[in-house]
Amino acid sequence: MVQISLPQNSKIQKGKYYKDKTGSKNLRKVNIYRWDPSTGENPRVDTYEVDMDNCPSKVLDLLNKIKNEIDPSIAYRRSCAHGVCGSCAMNMDGKNGLACTKPHAEIKGDINIYPLPHLKVLKDLIGDLSTLYKQYESVEPWLKNTSNKSDKENIQSKEDRAKLDGLYECIMCACCSTSCPSYWWNGDKYLGPAVLLQAYRWIIDSRDEDRKERLKKVADELKLYRCHTIMNCTNACPKGLNPAKAIASIKKMLATS
Amino acid sequence: MENKNPLSPHIQIYSWHISSLVSIGHRITGVINIFILTLIFLWLGSLLLGEKNYEIIFNFFNSFLGKFFIIATIWSFTFHSLSELRHLFWDMGYGFDLKTANLTGSLVIIFSIIFTVLIYLIGRIVI
Repeated sequence: MVQISLPQNSKIQKGKYYKDKTGSKNLRKVNIYRWDPSTGENPRVDTYEVDMDNCPSKVLDLLNKIKNEIDPSIAYRRSCAHGVCGSCAMNMDGKNGLACTKPHAEIKGDINIYPLPHLKVLKDLIGDLSTLYKQYESVEPWLKNTSNKSDKENIQSKEDRAKLDGLYECIMCACCSTSCPSYWWNGDKYLGPAVLLQAYRWIIDSRDEDRKERLKKVADELKLYRCHTIMNCTNACPKGLNPAKAIASIKKMLATS
Repeated sequence: MENKNPLSPHIQIYSWHISSLVSIGHRITGVINIFILTLIFLWLGSLLLGEKNYEIIFNFFNSFLGKFFIIATIWSFTFHSLSELRHLFWDMGYGFDLKTANLTGSLVIIFSIIFTVLIYLIGRIVI
């Protein structure tokens, strides 16, 4: 259901203000969403003054600096720091992206950092993605091929392999799904751009023999057709992929088959 | 067990893109158009009831509010039609490239305004 306002327990309160202690002249204000499960209080937004003269270029560097030098209690996911693992997906300056690939110089004014939108928050910038992972499991993201009994490689032509370009690069960071208003309102039923792109990645694979079944399974008013081509997903994808196009390709396959 | 954790903010913080603006605009104008069509048909029907009704409608359309209503109606219909055209191309599988989608979205907005002005002016000359 469409619920525009946040529930009572999610309303954001004014947080703490951490004044700069370094005496730097080059300061930026960073507003970060905080929620501590142990206190039972509502979420708040804390503001940090950060010395930008000694801060590397990406938003993740900024968060690391705050965690190391100002406030060690802040929680966020991160791992590879090179845009490969997808752990540090969050909402920066109103847009979803990876903190490790987003330069803070691209953000004008104060830097606002929130968790990925419309998720149950586990702590601070960490959202609960378990629904998305369950949906991912439901599209059975593995190769299904029973006829190829040889123990050699499963050969694919160059053209067929090229069909997977723009799909296989997906790192499942959930930037797209959590940017999608349809997924916000119907996230329990609508599969969302990330999972549908993955579904299409297996539908279009020439080695897979389960195409018909896969298409049948996904052809559902709620699972697939809640996509209204709002294109927030494609705008958000930090890998430059196009989930909206992948979803449209599934729709087209269903309409023409 | 019900999850009591807070929900992270969504529409409150997410920035708008051209594509999302045109998308929500498409839906809103779609609903408005249905109401306007119903209204127009009710007026047409009321003409059957006599001359007096014609005068009421005529006076309304010549008032300031009436003119606003006409211009808003023309915009609502042109915007929705142009955006629908964009959707038809999407349904055929074209125009998903981010640059193309942003361009066509801007064109929908710009041309809906241009067409509104043109249609209104042509209408004034003809009638």
